[in-house]
Amino acid sequence: MKITKTNTSRRKFLKQVAAGATTATAASIIPSRAFSANKQLTIGMNIPMTGDLAPWGLPGYYGCEIIAKNINAAGGVTIGGETYDINIASYDHAYETDKAVQGMKKLVLEDDAKMVMMLGGSTVAAVLPWAMRKQVLTTTLLPSDITPDSKHLVATCESHPLYNVTGVEWLARNHPDAKTAVIVTNNDVEYGLQSTATYEAAFEVAGIEVVDTNLHGFDVTDFAPIVSSVLAKNPDIFCMATSFYVTPIMEQLYHQGFEGKVISCTLDYYHEIIAKTSEDFVNGTIFQFPDFDDPALAGVNFPDPAGFSADFLANHPNDWTAVAWEYPVILVNWIENAQAAGSVESVEVTEHMTGTEQNFVFGGGSWWGSQLWGLDNVLIGKWPVVRVDDGKARIQEYGDLAAWLDANNDVLIKHMKAHGLRTV
Amino acid sequence: MDLLIQTVVNGFIQSGFYALAAIGLVLVFGVMRVVNFAHGELVMIGAYTIWYAHAQNGVPYLFTVVLAILIVTAIGLLMERFLFRPMTDDPLGGLICSIGVLFILQVIATYVGGEGPSKQVPPPFEGTLIVFETVRIPYQRVFSIGVSIFALAVLWYFLTRTKLGWAVRAVSMDREAAALQGISTVRISMVAIGVGAAMAGLAGALMAPLTNINPHMGHNVIITAFIVTIVGGVGSLPGAVIASVLYALFHTFVTTYFSGTIATISGLLIMVLVLIVRPTGIMGHRVSE
Repeated sequence: MKITKTNTSRRKFLKQVAAGATTATAASIIPSRAFSANKQLTIGMNIPMTGDLAPWGLPGYYGCEIIAKNINAAGGVTIGGETYDINIASYDHAYETDKAVQGMKKLVLEDDAKMVMMLGGSTVAAVLPWAMRKQVLTTTLLPSDITPDSKHLVATCESHPLYNVTGVEWLARNHPDAKTAVIVTNNDVEYGLQSTATYEAAFEVAGIEVVDTNLHGFDVTDFAPIVSSVLAKNPDIFCMATSFYVTPIMEQLYHQGFEGKVISCTLDYYHEIIAKTSEDFVNGTIFQFPDFDDPALAGVNFPDPAGFSADFLANHPNDWTAVAWEYPVILVNWIENAQAAGSVESVEVTEHMTGTEQNFVFGGGSWWGSQLWGLDNVLIGKWPVVRVDDGKARIQEYGDLAAWLDANNDVLIKHMKAHGLRTV
Repeated sequence: MDLLIQTVVNGFIQSGFYALAAIGLVLVFGVMRVVNFAHGELVMIGAYTIWYAHAQNGVPYLFTVVLAILIVTAIGLLMERFLFRPMTDDPLGGLICSIGVLFILQVIATYVGGEGPSKQVPPPFEGTLIVFETVRIPYQRVFSIGVSIFALAVLWYFLTRTKLGWAVRAVSMDREAAALQGISTVRISMVAIGVGAAMAGLAGALMAPLTNINPHMGHNVIITAFIVTIVGGVGSLPGAVIASVLYALFHTFVTTYFSGTIATISGLLIMVLVLIVRPTGIMGHRVSE
């Protein structure tokens, strides 16, 4: 047998393969921004990305990634004379309080996040003691999280559920014949009861009588009896104050022959509702969250809403929910304030933010909240009233939330107290 | 009056789902003495099969119903062979294994369906049946209750008119005595879990177009199945069917005339009361040592 010696030994071959694989892997996993000359500026998202509330977390992360990608592609953002690339660091707390605390500390201490965006509710309550002590600028979509002591907690986009009054106001003005309403919603304090109280206040102000309020738990698998029960009151308006079960409820309304007006806080995945009922039935439904390809969004304080929407839907065609644009709005607002403050540090940005007039995404912009929660850290402004027309969500008008609250704050507080909710 | 009639109809339709979901639990416990905590997840897998095959990939609904039954039956048989059979003499071990399967099936569903919103299946049978201009029943529900009744009738025929069915009932009544008569308890265990899983798969397939589908939907199913099983009499199939109808009517009436929360609390209270006052349930019987 002839043995031929070659220059390639097994050890050498393995070295070459390892080096090649390492290079290829590194090239594929290291983001392009790592090669940028800009500094990294990390914004944190401590949100549910798995579990039942993932639809109110994950789409927001996708949206912020788009904003960051666009900013970085344009050369970054200049704050205080320094140019930064935006890095979105996320932590999935799955809407569990212990994980939320862990996530907050990880994002601030390890990732050096300059602001942490959160959904709200019990997870925000859990992180507040630590976050406020460390003066971390934290944002929530539920302003009822705000307390007199939560100076570094702000709600700069969604003012859930206050904006719902604009939909009722529009409905009452455009359908003066609708005089009675029923409310169906989940019975939790964070979302359901807050929204129920707000809708009850809005209906009272609009001269509409609430003939039944049905608060249900999270264990409902069949909405037929609930819908039968409230429809027996012959309401002109069916209101879903804020429900995780909009689709099955709408399905029951359709099958049980409801012909009145439907108003809802959210109507996420309304195309699925149309698929389960009919376009004719869903047409006319009023809610509060626009699609971002709506022409009526031209001129709002958000970069290229239509382009953002197209980019989002191209990459995540089935994931668009209300939060898809809300976290990005918070991010854009933070950048504006950081630039104006000339600093990326939490304390400076918070002080500038809460101490100056703000441009709310849909127009207007004033700090509110001390009347209800003890601190003016809720940014309110114009809010869109959306209706489904020809199977597509379309903005009907921008309601004036600030004006309604100025005029009717007492009514709102009365209903909040009636449901045992915290007010100052 | 209209509301009363509509409520009775809503209750009867719901009872079909409850019965299908509970039967499997009763069968497995009766024959194998194992509390299968993963039973709700078998229903969930049935629903996910419909979502994935029918709603996402356009496979005809009726075909996917059969597919869901086959897939869930296969999962049930695998559970019997690799988990419950080795734990024949250890009911607690079987229970713990079933909890493990519960989590595994949830993870598989999350992997297949992804995170995000609950899955929706457009109803294959559109439209609404209107009776006497007052009672309204979606055709999808008419179909579901029809299939449920048919499936329960087939099961009743199987258990009361076939030798294999007699053997299942014999093992359920007294495993040792049945074995002494030459009945293969291993084979009967496979039949029991196969039939039970098939019923769960069918329940999931029928529920899929009517409910939110998510990896955790089995949680509510198993609680209802436990209530029905205990009220009906643990191990009693006729008891499970009777309890399903009674519980569904009770729950629907309380939800309609009071609230869903009160209905759920009342249902659990009834279960506790039955355990205290009549532990054998409606149709169960006392077994002396």
